[in-house]
Amino acid sequence: MESFLLANAESVVARARTGDPEALGALYRAFEVPVYNLARRICRTTEDAEDVLQETFFEVCRSIGRYREEGSLWGWVRTIAASKALMRIRRNKYRDTDELNDQVTGKRHEDSHLRMDLEAALERLSETSRAVVWLHDVEGYTHEEIGSMMGKTPSFSKSQLARAHARLRQWLGEEMGS
Amino acid sequence: MSHLSMDTLLSLREPGVEPGTATAREHLSQCPQCQAEVDRLHQRVARLKALPPLRPGRDRWPQTVARYRAERSRRRIRMGGMMSLAAAASVALAMTIPSWNRGPAAPSDAASALTSTEISRAMERSQALEDALSAFNPDARVLDGRTAGMAQELEDRIARVDRDLEATELLQQQARDLDLLKLWRERVGLLDALVDIHVTRASNAGL
Repeated sequence: MESFLLANAESVVARARTGDPEALGALYRAFEVPVYNLARRICRTTEDAEDVLQETFFEVCRSIGRYREEGSLWGWVRTIAASKALMRIRRNKYRDTDELNDQVTGKRHEDSHLRMDLEAALERLSETSRAVVWLHDVEGYTHEEIGSMMGKTPSFSKSQLARAHARLRQWLGEEMGS
Repeated sequence: MSHLSMDTLLSLREPGVEPGTATAREHLSQCPQCQAEVDRLHQRVARLKALPPLRPGRDRWPQTVARYRAERSRRRIRMGGMMSLAAAASVALAMTIPSWNRGPAAPSDAASALTSTEISRAMERSQALEDALSAFNPDARVLDGRTAGMAQELEDRIARVDRDLEATELLQQQARDLDLLKLWRERVGLLDALVDIHVTRASNAGL
């Protein structure tokens, strides 16, 4: 991904390792949008996502000397971003919104033919479920990796994903026979 | 006939074979409803991947780089503090060893001892200013842009002096002492200015 996000990545990384502010700024500009997008898809608010963006690049600036170029640069930055976003949702301890909605509205959603668009349905998932959906289905992390980042088991990640897809299917009006 | 659960449908997408996968695949190959469900699952994932990227409303780079610079400066100052302790020890040793070996001090030794004393004083003053700055905890306070810029400039100059001190430590004794004294005095002057900036601004603003 960095090949089109960041021209001459090797030389930029080499300069960033010496603390060159221009090179560090170039890294920020290259990965700002994908990092923010990942953070915003996981976190509840834009403020939290912006904080994750800042935390991620602060860590990138501090740790670029330890980046060993074994994997892709974007993969390295993305893992920092995912870890910061998961830390943020753990710290916030938001109540799972989809569970709250179900408690308030009872079976209403099952009976209604409510159709949401995908953005709204994704937004409505709990932060944990949304994080699993995004990290697994979009970013391509395995259940083992997600479980490890969340401090949980791979089974936890699998069950969150199944639950999230069942809810998305329902909210998007995609149930069997519909 | 019972259809495949979401858990099972999702597990069929995963690499590797889990218990019960063969049976599930067999069911899937014969069940149009479950096949349609798998298609919907694939489409949903494809639509997730195709969602347009969300962009930050604000540029967070200035804050990020300012925080990074502040941390680097703090680290340099800490290193400077450690260096000053090490240098103080080496100066004390340099002053003690000749008197053991040669008896009463010669005039040039006396001049050298005076320089060494001055260096020790500058080091002590430098350490005291660093302690004052550390106790004041400038990172926890808010500075206006102009003052923050001045503080940053002073911290950068202190870091440069620290690098020069490190290089000077490698020179011959005589030249080294004079250079060290000059540099330590410069460091004290810069730290004095930095403390002034933080403390004076805080007392003016009542922070």
